[in-house]
Amino acid sequence: MIEHDFPEEFVPIAAELQRLPYMSPSRNFADNVIARIDRLQPARAVAPVVASRHLELQQGGRQAVIPRRRMGVVQATGRATAGVALIAAAAFMFFEVDVLTAILAAASTQYAFAIAAVGAQVGTLVLGPETIAYLQAGALQAVVLYITLAVGLFGGYAAIRTAAQIAKRKAA
Amino acid sequence: MTPKSYTDVSDQQVVVFAQEGREDAYRELIKRYERPVFSLIFRMVRDKETAEDLAQETFIKVLNNIDRYRPEFKFSSWLFKIANNITIDHLRRRQLDTISIEGAPDAITAERARATAVTVTSGGESPLEELESRELGAEIEKAIARLRPEYRACIILRHVEDYSYDEIAEIVKLPLGTVKTYIHRARQELREYLEDVR
Repeated sequence: MIEHDFPEEFVPIAAELQRLPYMSPSRNFADNVIARIDRLQPARAVAPVVASRHLELQQGGRQAVIPRRRMGVVQATGRATAGVALIAAAAFMFFEVDVLTAILAAASTQYAFAIAAVGAQVGTLVLGPETIAYLQAGALQAVVLYITLAVGLFGGYAAIRTAAQIAKRKAA
Repeated sequence: MTPKSYTDVSDQQVVVFAQEGREDAYRELIKRYERPVFSLIFRMVRDKETAEDLAQETFIKVLNNIDRYRPEFKFSSWLFKIANNITIDHLRRRQLDTISIEGAPDAITAERARATAVTVTSGGESPLEELESRELGAEIEKAIARLRPEYRACIILRHVEDYSYDEIAEIVKLPLGTVKTYIHRARQELREYLEDVR
């Protein structure tokens, strides 16, 4: 009840005003409102994401690898042969390497990883997995060492050459 | 925590649940205030369809912006403030400030008159009291309808919704002195209109 801040003549009117009934909107009022509340709406369909060659988004963001197209045996053999032939020809023409060496080099390069994998499997059977793991770890360390040496050598050579060129210009 | 029922939950707490995106909290807020908001708007525009549209617009605006609610204010004050703004804007656009208890003045068909007429429900009195109450209630509705829209909002908020002058000033975005003046004049006009009836 509100405090009386009006003349006595208004008291009965105030009482009647307080008794005024509430009116109800239609029965589906709440549903109509809820239907238009943006934050309650289910997420709109997301536009399809353009997938990279190997990846695409599927169903709620799960990432899946698109299966590679299977290459036929004949096609694979043809490609490998053509690759080996090209490398051998280039080696023969530009570096005067005999054909047989070039073919062997190209083939070994082409199939280096396959040969390494087969070798590791055979080695595991013969020498045991622990030995192979030890050798592989050693090989990895050797690779890192060689890379470091190569970078150092090239860097040093480049620095010396640059210094020499600068000195030569100044002398001239 | 998820309440099974919102019966004893305050408006502020229901708002917090609504801010978390809970549909039942939204429905609870609508349930609590659909009738007061609809009644206020209806008494200002005197057209059921328009009142329903404006009330819906009010709730949609409030609930879509529920994150912007400031808990230092009463939720109902914020709701009525938006309802009042939307209604006043509508009245300014439509110039619908002349109304009648038998229906809006532009009700040229019987159906339209029914749509715009007020239905006053009884409060459990004896048949005679109910009749008198209905008559007086209808007369008061008529008298309110003759007030200026600004007076209507203020007098309803003061005497129907029991808001303080300060709260009304906040809701209708008017200075406190202006609100007091409006309510004083509205009372005077209501007394004049109802003198013959009483």
